[in-house]
Amino acid sequence: MGKFVLKRLLALIPTILIIVFVVYFILDLTPSSPGQLILGQMATEEAVEAKNIELGYDKPFLVRYVKYIIQLFQGDLGTSWVTGKGVLESVFARFPVTVTLSAGATVLGIVIGVLLGILAAVKQYSIFDAAGTTLAMILASFPAFWIGMMLVILFAQELGWLPSYGTGSIAHYILPWFTTACAFIASQLRMTRTSLLESIRMDYVRTARAKGQKESVVIYRHALRNALMPVVTMAGMNFGTLLGGTVTVETVFTLNGVGTLILTSIRSKDVPVVVGAIVILAICYTLVMLVVDILYGFIDPQVKARYIKN
Amino acid sequence: MEEKKTLLEIKDLEVIYQTDEATVHAVNGINFSLNEKETIGLVGETGAGKTTTALTILRLLPERTGRIKGGQVLFRGENLLDKSVPEMRRVRGAEISIIFQDPMTALNPALTVGDQVLESLEIHNTAGKSKQELNARVDELFNLVGIPAERKAEYPHQFSGGMKQRIVIAIALACAPQLLIADEPTTALDVTIQAQVLKLMENLKEELGTSMIIITHDLGVVAETCDKVAIMYAGEIVEAGTVEDIFNGKEHHPYTVGLFNAIPNLDEKEERLRPIDGLMPDPANLPQGCKFGPRCPHFTEACKAQTPYIYEEKEHRIMCNLFKKEAADE
Ligand SMILES: Nc1ncnc2c1ncn2[C@@H]1O[C@H](COP(=O)(O)OP(=O)(O)OP(=O)(O)O)[C@@H](O)[C@H]1O
Ligand code: SF4
Ligand SMILES: [Mg+2]
Repeated sequence: MGKFVLKRLLALIPTILIIVFVVYFILDLTPSSPGQLILGQMATEEAVEAKNIELGYDKPFLVRYVKYIIQLFQGDLGTSWVTGKGVLESVFARFPVTVTLSAGATVLGIVIGVLLGILAAVKQYSIFDAAGTTLAMILASFPAFWIGMMLVILFAQELGWLPSYGTGSIAHYILPWFTTACAFIASQLRMTRTSLLESIRMDYVRTARAKGQKESVVIYRHALRNALMPVVTMAGMNFGTLLGGTVTVETVFTLNGVGTLILTSIRSKDVPVVVGAIVILAICYTLVMLVVDILYGFIDPQVKARYIKN
Repeated sequence: MEEKKTLLEIKDLEVIYQTDEATVHAVNGINFSLNEKETIGLVGETGAGKTTTALTILRLLPERTGRIKGGQVLFRGENLLDKSVPEMRRVRGAEISIIFQDPMTALNPALTVGDQVLESLEIHNTAGKSKQELNARVDELFNLVGIPAERKAEYPHQFSGGMKQRIVIAIALACAPQLLIADEPTTALDVTIQAQVLKLMENLKEELGTSMIIITHDLGVVAETCDKVAIMYAGEIVEAGTVEDIFNGKEHHPYTVGLFNAIPNLDEKEERLRPIDGLMPDPANLPQGCKFGPRCPHFTEACKAQTPYIYEEKEHRIMCNLFKKEAADE
């Protein structure tokens, strides 16, 4: 088990090297002057020049990349060119909002998606199945920002039930949660339905029926448990993706999350923050997927046996 | 010999599968009966309707497609086809058990084998036994089928095919059913294991006095284990009788003759029997009259005209016009 975790963590290293390279490279395509950003518009040209040299910005791209990587592996993510604050600190300040948003949306997606998926599969070809499948299609095909705006218009502006921006309370999160969850509800519903339909056809489900077991127990104890594997993976992947992918929703609802931090930092060419935030998200994503893999073990004894052997 | 009591009687049973593309006539009016402590072998090539017959007895046909069009399944005089769903649940696993074709997939991979045996006991625990008593019974069942009871906390993937089949048998026997249906219990196993499992089933039958329906395409298995035989072809029983009738009788259905001719040599065992030239007709599109007609060496126009003559001599029944002619000649 420990070996397995270690292996996964080591795999992070090349991932980070590549991510940093790509992000760095893209940001480098447009000229930037960190000296100007740090010293402000009023600074003299000589001072700006001197600062750039101090930061090593006169050096070629690869040299800067290698230097950054070395610092990174020493645990130093650098400081923001714009605010002068530590990158780690700035990202973590924004983290709670993004995590709350992602986690809430994932939970909503799982609960609603899985329940509707079960209903659709158990009552295949019925009205529930048709309604569920149609709902999944609708939810998946409308873009998040559009759904977000519609929810704002309806629940914030027309009905006035919920706030449309900010992060003061749980109520503030309800609309963003639902907006973010839409795509998940769709994917979880479809995944649960397909997976459950498949496992309902398995021989061991027939064995359970042949024992005289009640249909509800047959579904819950025998079919569902085996159908859950792909659903868990997907939920984990969804959550991981969300951590870095809530920009749209954060923007629509003016939430100060990591997504908006990256967005504003790209606009202001605050390279250390952009790269640092993305590296942190990549690490989080890997950790989430690791947890998902460990969760597997609890569902599938075959996988558990494999961990223990490794 | 003591008076035989009828346990199961199947009358004019007709089952179809209604799919979007076709109506599959899987079982077409079969009749057979089974006494207490007796074993009947249901023999026939793939697609003959053997599994369908077994599923129908337990009312486990696929819900959407499988339909029982007519007939009766009398179990101790009661028609199972008239029972409500909860009544049927009390029969399944308690009075009639089934062992399915493939032991590799018959067990739930996510539950320990002990829990899967225990489940049967819990469902039918009408006597309100304690958890300890039930667990003791699980141990007993494991010993009965020859698996150390300590291994009950393991998962199916930790067992070999033959051992899985033993566990499946333990599940089926848990509540001491009066009737055990074994659908090709050994086909998926290799030859040495086959013999072991058959021996085990034979012993259990002797000990527990369970009646059995053994579904197989292996006449060797039938000869070893059965009292009666029913030969199925295209959803019909073309010949039925005692083992003596089938193995040593003078009169036979041409299909049975083909089956015996096709028994492979010991050293070149075939997967499936291919007794006679040609294939079984598509059950979605059955021929007129005798369904064996297109493959029969004795085919005449009369065979096509209507369902064949039924020859009967005590328990021996053959569905073929050949014997009608004989009767007329004499
Ligand atoms: N769910 C189903 N839907 C449609 N047709 C089916 C279904 N199950 C079985 N059939 C068809 O019904 C016929 C009888 O099938 P059945 O499984 O009873 O045969 P079998 O005698 O058990 O064969 P085998 O030796 O291969 O197990 C076959 O033609 C089969 O294709
Ligand atoms: S009824 Fe005719 S076709 Fe059918 S088996 Fe007998 S002889 Fe052959
Ligand atoms: Mg079969």
